[in-house]
Amino acid sequence: MISFQSVTFSYPGADRPAIQDVDLVIAEGMLALVCGLSGSGKSTLLRCINGLVPHFSGGTLRGAIRIAGLDPVQESPNMMSRHVGFVFQDPESQFVVDRVEDEIAFALENAAMPVDEMHTRVEVAMDMLKLTPLRNRSLDNLSGGEKQRVALASALVLKPNILVLDEPTSQLDAGSADELLQLLVQLKGEHNLTVILAEHRLERILPYTDQMIYLDKSVPGVLSGRPRDILSLISLGPPVVKLANRFGWEPKPLGVEEAKKFISTSIINPIKKVSFSSESNYKQPYIQVSDLDIHIGTKQILDGINLNLFPGEILVLMGPNGAGKSTLLRSIVGLQPINSGSISVANQSISGKHVSDICQKVGYLPQDPNALLFAESVSEELQITIHNHHLNPDDMHPDELLRFLGISEKRDSYPRDLSVGEKQRVALAAITITQPGAIILDEPTRGLDYEAKQDLITLLKIWCAEGMGVLLVTHDVEMAAATADRIALIDQGRITAVGDPVEVSASSGLFSPQITLLFPGSGWLTPEDVTL
Amino acid sequence: MINTWTWFIWIAAVLIALSVTRNPLYIILILLCLFLLDTQLALKSRITNGADDNRSIPVSPFRIALMLITLSAVFNAAISHYGETVLFSLPTSFPLIGGSITVEAFVYGALNGLVLFGIFYAFFILNRALSVRRLIRVIPRAFYPVAVVTSIAITFIPNTIRQYHQIREAQSVRGHRMRGIRDWLPLLIPLLTGGLERALSLSESMSARGLAASTANQEVWWGRIMVLFGLLLLLIGWILTLFTDWLLFGSLLLISGIGLLLIVLWLIGRSTPHSTYILEKWTWQDALILSGVAAVISALLFPLPFIDKETLHYEVYPTMHLPGFDPFIGILLLGLLMPAILIYISNISVQE
Repeated sequence: MISFQSVTFSYPGADRPAIQDVDLVIAEGMLALVCGLSGSGKSTLLRCINGLVPHFSGGTLRGAIRIAGLDPVQESPNMMSRHVGFVFQDPESQFVVDRVEDEIAFALENAAMPVDEMHTRVEVAMDMLKLTPLRNRSLDNLSGGEKQRVALASALVLKPNILVLDEPTSQLDAGSADELLQLLVQLKGEHNLTVILAEHRLERILPYTDQMIYLDKSVPGVLSGRPRDILSLISLGPPVVKLANRFGWEPKPLGVEEAKKFISTSIINPIKKVSFSSESNYKQPYIQVSDLDIHIGTKQILDGINLNLFPGEILVLMGPNGAGKSTLLRSIVGLQPINSGSISVANQSISGKHVSDICQKVGYLPQDPNALLFAESVSEELQITIHNHHLNPDDMHPDELLRFLGISEKRDSYPRDLSVGEKQRVALAAITITQPGAIILDEPTRGLDYEAKQDLITLLKIWCAEGMGVLLVTHDVEMAAATADRIALIDQGRITAVGDPVEVSASSGLFSPQITLLFPGSGWLTPEDVTL
Repeated sequence: MINTWTWFIWIAAVLIALSVTRNPLYIILILLCLFLLDTQLALKSRITNGADDNRSIPVSPFRIALMLITLSAVFNAAISHYGETVLFSLPTSFPLIGGSITVEAFVYGALNGLVLFGIFYAFFILNRALSVRRLIRVIPRAFYPVAVVTSIAITFIPNTIRQYHQIREAQSVRGHRMRGIRDWLPLLIPLLTGGLERALSLSESMSARGLAASTANQEVWWGRIMVLFGLLLLLIGWILTLFTDWLLFGSLLLISGIGLLLIVLWLIGRSTPHSTYILEKWTWQDALILSGVAAVISALLFPLPFIDKETLHYEVYPTMHLPGFDPFIGILLLGLLMPAILIYISNISVQE
């Protein structure tokens, strides 16, 4: 179905190939997971399948690629669209029109499909992806999960034999991500679809994976095979695999259910980890949110929110898409007007204060760090923040901060040319140069690979140890488990639980890390906690 | 579903009505019809989407109304010094604005502002009523690539506005405040690069979804030559009719040029393989709306015996007086309300 023979591809002007000597075969009806660190060539590999590389990107491609009997280099991506459906990372960026049904029909209209056939296909696609009730909805008003389903339907409506997805769950909450993956498995089973997807969060997808493809930018070729075999050869892996490596479980479990088989024989009495994470352990809150109500238009977004962030703690805020997480963060820094209630930072109400004055005391990293970066160099970004806040440059230590963040070598680089992780660090430097008492981060792990995520966790823990309060919004339950001193859950604008990570995680399966699911009642959250 | 062409005819009737009269009572009646229709469309959007359709609307139409009426009134009062009710006078040495500032000039300007707002509001409603796809479906098939580009441009605007707000917020987090032109730089660079990145993703996505898959290898070379020839005929015919005595020959060339262009566009359209997902039908609802439109047009343009058309031509100068009002014209203008009534009935039935 899909074969790569000695494929090497270099982007125009690149000093080294994006993928090198790739030999790969993916059989029909497989669900193949493409993984590897950022910059290892995952997206390039995916784009070779439908000919976007090299047709769209330019560059030099050597070797032979056969996709469903066709050569995508000879054919164009347009022609390959009949065989390969492609879903991009950000569904919003691929929509052409403004209504669900029109968007799905768009590709069929382009293909000059007869009207009756078109209607049948659109109905089938909408039914398959449970979009029929949303057919007349405006795309603007859909949730992240719904948008992803529309993107998927738009790709599937051309009845491709192969479906390629580039990090499809990166913007979804745990529930929506799980729903999407279940759907892919169902499509694969019912329509014999070959599914190839790139993903950083292995814990979500591994249980469904038939074939794993690992790319490493420092080593030519790819590792390809059964997930268990590949996981034995690489350092990446979800918590259950790390545990299996540690305790020598074979064959390696790919998910919690498989790992449970080993637990029944290995553990008799899990030791409960003592938790100290309650508000009484802290002194004065640095950020205090009391009885906060926010309406946008006629819709109530936040309803009676009470939340404290203390110095030296990491508070993780979790909840489904559209629950009000980002609105809460934005209201704390004064970007979102409030209807009632109060917010204070460092014992002072933020009422009537300008955003920039509040942000001198609370650093805020929005979802897209690109929105912050515009200067010619990394060091200039920091100087601009110092200048904007009218701070004394002699009191600030930008070089020290860059060194601390591990990006001092990049001080003269153009920020937008850096990797996702490096860009995020530059953005962090730009907001923390004011030495705020707390930072709040909105979905900081989007697009980060395991290594960059680990670096971020380490960084946050160091800041926290120095007395800074950290409020973190994330869908990544493993990240929450590894960092949180306390977890707050928010749903439909209300805080539904707040407190000890063990208790809060256990209260909702959707927000439980693998280790908690594996050892219920043990108080363990990460593989490092487990003592057998 | 109301036919797209019916909407176009309806908006044409609104524009005619607004351009024919300066009587504030009739203008307010037309605006009231628009307001009621807008309310029903907003309700329909809430029923369909489960949320307010506010995201694609960067500014409230009523703010725009206030701005247009104020600006137009002040501008007209400043430059037009007619009218007998003098509010105050500016020294005549002031260029253009020097002279009497009168109530009549203020009111005349405000009426013009009201008409301008009416035009804006009608298009605003059309934008609410028709999806992007329905709008571009009426573009002839020969212009399909243009239609797709238009569609992208229309959907790109709200995204760009959203991105602009995100960047402005992100920059204010870094202490950035807008004071002068140089302060736009931190907003423009991310907006520009972000816009280019989005354009690239969109074009990549469209290739991956088979845009022009079936036309990629079909170069309509003959079409271009024929279009050029048609335009040439048109130009020569136009020059001959305008600047020479060969009126008949020139007119023949003009008609031949237009005819050739229409035939070529039709042929190119036929050779552009593309199908339309929704084939719109004419229904009794369209008939009702069109009858409403006919009532409006007949009231405004035809010499009906029972109508006092003089009331349409309200003149504030030289002294302001109360405008007249013919109830028949008022009733016939309510024909513009027909889409609102139909959408109201549809909303009620959906809610039940």
